[in-house]
Amino acid sequence: MLVEVENLTKTFGEFCAVDNVSFAIEPGEIIGMLGPNGAGKTTTIHMILGLITPTSGRISIFGKSMATHRGEILEQMNFTSPYVAFPFRLTVLENLMVFARIYKLKKPRERIDQLLERFAITRLRDKPISSLSSGENTRVGLCKAFMNDPRLLLLDEPTAYLDPEIAWQVKNALLDAQREKGTTILYTSHNMDEVERMCKRIIFLHHGKVIAAGSPIEITQAILEEEREEPALEEVFLRLVKGKAA
Amino acid sequence: MKLHRINAVIVRHVYEARRNFDRVIDTVWWPVLDIIMWGFFTVYLAHSNRLQPTVVSCLLGAVILWGTFYSFQRDMAVAFIDDLWCRNLINLFSTPLMMSEYMAGIIVVCILKVMVGLIAASAIGWAAYSFDILPWLPKFIPYMANLLFFALALGTAITGLIFRYSTKVQALAWSFAGLLMPVSCIFYPISSLPKWLQAVAWMMPTAHSFEGMRQVLAGQGFSLTHFAWGAGLNVVYFALAIVFFGWIFEKARTRGLLVKQE
Repeated sequence: MLVEVENLTKTFGEFCAVDNVSFAIEPGEIIGMLGPNGAGKTTTIHMILGLITPTSGRISIFGKSMATHRGEILEQMNFTSPYVAFPFRLTVLENLMVFARIYKLKKPRERIDQLLERFAITRLRDKPISSLSSGENTRVGLCKAFMNDPRLLLLDEPTAYLDPEIAWQVKNALLDAQREKGTTILYTSHNMDEVERMCKRIIFLHHGKVIAAGSPIEITQAILEEEREEPALEEVFLRLVKGKAA
Repeated sequence: MKLHRINAVIVRHVYEARRNFDRVIDTVWWPVLDIIMWGFFTVYLAHSNRLQPTVVSCLLGAVILWGTFYSFQRDMAVAFIDDLWCRNLINLFSTPLMMSEYMAGIIVVCILKVMVGLIAASAIGWAAYSFDILPWLPKFIPYMANLLFFALALGTAITGLIFRYSTKVQALAWSFAGLLMPVSCIFYPISSLPKWLQAVAWMMPTAHSFEGMRQVLAGQGFSLTHFAWGAGLNVVYFALAIVFFGWIFEKARTRGLLVKQE
């Protein structure tokens, strides 16, 4: 297994954000993490990144414990979310150069140009971050996330601010990375169609607990408690959040 | 610690300095303005025959040295605040970058900025008021090192507080050094203070540096005692600041504050 999360729990005072969550991810897998707001998805991702210390439980990545090998593990993984930002006075190129230096890339300019082209933002290279739209910022974040050719990529709602065409390009870039380089991706999103298309396996979180895990069709049948031919994650989501099927 | 990651932090702040006029103002504007204002004051006092020449040197030397101390302490905290304001901390700390590397990078940037301010202020002191700091510099350097060491300890502690309490306490970055001014005895000897405040001043590495500086300018030579006291106190304060920062950083990770900074 590439990622093993065992009995992960995080409490903030009386509030339990993540409650005894366990799951594993195989190499080369794209796995979706779904759940309503406050379900514990982002907290789980932040614990996997070592940004939040778990109250209890164990996280092992590439066969090493996150608690003791954080730096070594983070060399080979990356993360992005449209909710984090970059220094806004710096240009796109300057921001990406900082991360290229952190990862000690041999040919940083070449790599940055490739990534800007892949996410169709070459024309923004010398623009300050402050002049970009939310969608353009998200794509800069994706360039940063692919900077070190990560073995494991954590993406928190990566297509949140993107228009359908760009979102489609991004999804293709992710699928290409998985096919060509075997990149393992843990993906959170509120777009159920996207998750159905991208992920073979899904973990559904609610109130900090894993309430279902499996393929989209398995989850659909387990939560809706009926036989279905096609996955219906939208209905599953509504059933869980509102307590009723759509 | 990896040099390439420290270098990345330095490059990030050099880019910021190039594009952020506020940082240029911080680096050059205030040290230059201070020396101009105090310079005119010493000119006025000298023309009125109210002062001996050594007192003029003491004032201008003190302005320059205090400027290095204040700038270093402020710039350390402000560099961190810059990353806080633009919500860049998650990006940075989801990479292999370690906190020690981040702080080391910021320290190098602060030293560079202090040097720029020091050179600018010294050049104006020399050109406009005939105060040449260069002959004094070999004897000033140990005291300046102590001032910067203390600024580093304070900057570390203040950065820790900002980590814990976020932008609610960011004003400390600009104001905390001001609290120490009266007991740092920048422009007057420790003996001018009331007895009870003298006890506090003796605990300040800054006060020892300025006492030492005045002895040098008065032709009494380098005071090893003031230097040693300043260095000893600095070791204690720096150790406390590191322990405090380490404790706060772990607390921040436990409480999830690192991802909620704003």
